[in-house]
Amino acid sequence: MPLLPSTYAEAVDRMRRRDFIALLGAAAVWTVPARSQPAAMPVIGYLGSESPGPYASRLKAFREGLAETGYVEGRNVSVEYRWAEGRYRELPALAKDLVNRNVTVIVAPGGAEVALAAKAASATLPIVFELGGDPVALGLVGSLSRPGGNLTGVSSLSVEVSRKRLEFMNELRRGTNVFAFALNPTSPTSASQLKNLQAAADSLGLELVALKASDEKEFEGMFAAVREMRAAGLVFSSDPYFAYRSDQLAALAVKHGVPAITQSRDFPIAGGLMSYGGDFGQSHRHTGVYAGRILKGEKPSELPVQRVTKVELFINLKAANALGIAFPPSLLSSADGVIE
Amino acid sequence: MTGRRAVARTDPVSDPPSAPRTSLFKKYFRALFAAVALPLLIASASETWFGYHDQRARLNDRLDAEARLAAVKIQDFIEGIREQLGWTVQLPWTENIDDRQRLDALRLLRQVPAVASLTLVDATGKERLFVSRIGLNRIEGGDDYSTKPAFLGARSERAWFGPVTFQGGSEPFMTVAVAGNRSAVGVAIAEINLKFIWEVISAIRVGRTGEAFVLDGPGRLVAHPDISLVLRAEEAAQQPLEGLRDAIIERAGQSATGRDTTRTTVVAAMAQIPGLDWSVIVKQPLSEAFQPIYAALWRTGGLLIAGTALAALLAYWLAQRMTGPIRLLEDGVARIGAGQFDHRINLATGDEFERLATRFNEMAGELAISQERSERISRLRRFLAPQVAELVDRTGDDSVLDGRRVEVVVVFCDLRGFTAFSAQSEPETVMAVLGEYFGALEKVVSAHEATLLSFTGDGAMVLVNAPVSCPDPAMRAVTMASDMQMSVQKLLVGWRALGHRLGFGVGLAMGPATVGRIGSEGRLDYAAIGNVTNLAARLCASADDSEILIDRSAASAVGSAVPLVELDARLLKGFNQPVPVFAVVIGVGQ
Repeated sequence: MPLLPSTYAEAVDRMRRRDFIALLGAAAVWTVPARSQPAAMPVIGYLGSESPGPYASRLKAFREGLAETGYVEGRNVSVEYRWAEGRYRELPALAKDLVNRNVTVIVAPGGAEVALAAKAASATLPIVFELGGDPVALGLVGSLSRPGGNLTGVSSLSVEVSRKRLEFMNELRRGTNVFAFALNPTSPTSASQLKNLQAAADSLGLELVALKASDEKEFEGMFAAVREMRAAGLVFSSDPYFAYRSDQLAALAVKHGVPAITQSRDFPIAGGLMSYGGDFGQSHRHTGVYAGRILKGEKPSELPVQRVTKVELFINLKAANALGIAFPPSLLSSADGVIE
Repeated sequence: MTGRRAVARTDPVSDPPSAPRTSLFKKYFRALFAAVALPLLIASASETWFGYHDQRARLNDRLDAEARLAAVKIQDFIEGIREQLGWTVQLPWTENIDDRQRLDALRLLRQVPAVASLTLVDATGKERLFVSRIGLNRIEGGDDYSTKPAFLGARSERAWFGPVTFQGGSEPFMTVAVAGNRSAVGVAIAEINLKFIWEVISAIRVGRTGEAFVLDGPGRLVAHPDISLVLRAEEAAQQPLEGLRDAIIERAGQSATGRDTTRTTVVAAMAQIPGLDWSVIVKQPLSEAFQPIYAALWRTGGLLIAGTALAALLAYWLAQRMTGPIRLLEDGVARIGAGQFDHRINLATGDEFERLATRFNEMAGELAISQERSERISRLRRFLAPQVAELVDRTGDDSVLDGRRVEVVVVFCDLRGFTAFSAQSEPETVMAVLGEYFGALEKVVSAHEATLLSFTGDGAMVLVNAPVSCPDPAMRAVTMASDMQMSVQKLLVGWRALGHRLGFGVGLAMGPATVGRIGSEGRLDYAAIGNVTNLAARLCASADDSEILIDRSAASAVGSAVPLVELDARLLKGFNQPVPVFAVVIGVGQ
């Protein structure tokens, strides 16, 4: 507005006055609002792999996205939640349950497992996913620009940037060349991530030791193994199971004195060393926006898959101190968030 | 002229002017209404026309300004990246990679989120450093860039902007290459994720709901507030937006109207980003953009209706004011024309109408006077010779008709044998004979300026020296009687030829008599009362055909001027003594 020429500002001013006059006339007509009862509040089926606790920040972002399209939970939309409480095998049944409840749209955030469970449950009900992998490679959509089916959603770049975690760890631990790689064998993306990382390790001239964990109970042993093999650091694959257990992993990393990097910023915030991955706040907000747009009548087949634009590096200086490591300037200057 | 006057005079009451084809009221109303409404209409039409063009031009300017503003914002975004890239090409390349160059590159990635990857190339076109958000960083990659357009373009233009590509068929990317100010510092080549323009483009608002979007040279959507439209990278879906651009180009840069992707009719204006071949187009829904225009049109329309109504009212009132007096005048004139001369037209409009009414009133007054006069004249004419009547009238004094005693000569005459003739003859014949007879008598009486008092049956009574006195009345009376005899005798010759046995005798006497108007208001006569009248009547009765008998007074008054024969005194009815009688010798001394 201050950039506009004054004549324009005047014109706008005049317009306002006219509008006001027009409004006066219209007011008489519009004082009786058409209070047509909405036939029925649309229902969103929300499929979560964990419990509401770990999801809290994601849910907040999701609701923000919904609000951007004009939907507020409880006011003009209701949400049916189904939580797998970390038991990913139960996801398909929960998805089926949502389909049977005849919800308007299913929101399946938090990884490929959730998205695949939702896809298996219905081929017609609109589904909005949120994951870190490549939805085309996972067979969720035909292409990013034209999903084609009943699914669309948001992809963070977490899976793709797994190799960058190794690079950052290598940058931090110059002079060493053995690193451990944690992956969840039950994850649909584990194979591709391992292959990806192995290629990166080869190009960087590093030795990679893959450690598998698909249950919380295996975490302790994994950290112990890293310490025992004297690996320079532990690089986590992108996996929601790990991401939602950042606090636990951070505590174990501190306990075992293992420098580790995961995908989620929750990890350094909880006391871990580093994280590098897509901004889940952004991805979950977009999920909310897409859910809202589908509620408004848009078809998932015409909504292109969105990739989050932001990949963030978080570092924890306190954790580095405790480990007796100093961050080099390259990492310090690259970090989006530094925890002191 | 005379004919029309004659028609107008015939009878104004029984023959009113035929109803007019159209009323004056209607004419005035139409004229006055047109006089007010027409300029109003023309003013409104021109106001609407110019107002519309004004508003349209204003809208054009406004959208143009918005487009330029949006273009500046987009350009700032790109320029910002270009400037940041400039920082990475400051130091000349040495054999080994300087850590500071690496840090600069990493810092750039942190500071400019839109940069997905950065490649630093030395003066020979060899890749020295590559940093990325997704891929692994490389040092001394060694790829040859010397023949690539980005390197060549940056070397010649300092900054080079590549074409827009859609990664994975969805995300728009563009390569930007910037050369340092010395060739030794090489070139920085960055992959820009254009999705980041979304933050700029979605913040642009045109009016209340208007938006901006960006098309690249070939017409592909680069930025739009609805990012999914960009990510769809679908030509068919973006077709309307390209259509808008074509429409603007067709109108030589003026804002154009068209439909956007949501089928909403919009007004759009465009600005180019120099050096990029991108078009920044702002669009605003037509309904919103034209709202002031519509408001102005409604206002003008309302004013026009109100103005027209007012004009009609005004015209009605004025026409009423004009035709009201005219109706009053018409009515007044009709009354006056019908002879109601005492009618007065009451008009106090203070203008020409009032003057006209005054004139009519004056005319009515004059008409009343002249009618009174002509009535009097016609009354006098009944017994006075016309010229005498005129004279009386001219003096305006009819006191001559008042009663008085005066020396008069009374002349009586009648036909002999008329009773028998009228019994035998057809009425038409009788009337024709009488007509000729009285005509002749009247002529003579008139010629001698005598007063014809009455016709009775076949006789007539004529008075000389009253009401207008004349010199030597006896002589005049005798001469007149002689003329009467001569005129009538001539007629008698003709009648006798037809077999009518008629004769004519005259008797006259002179003496004092009371003369004056007698009778009632309805019937007024002039009469001479006295012995002389009786005597003259008796003399007439006793006169033979072609004989004129006169009494002694008349005879002595005439003296020797006329040859007289004294006859034997006769016994006349009403007279105790025999009356001396003289006969005028006709044809002698004439």
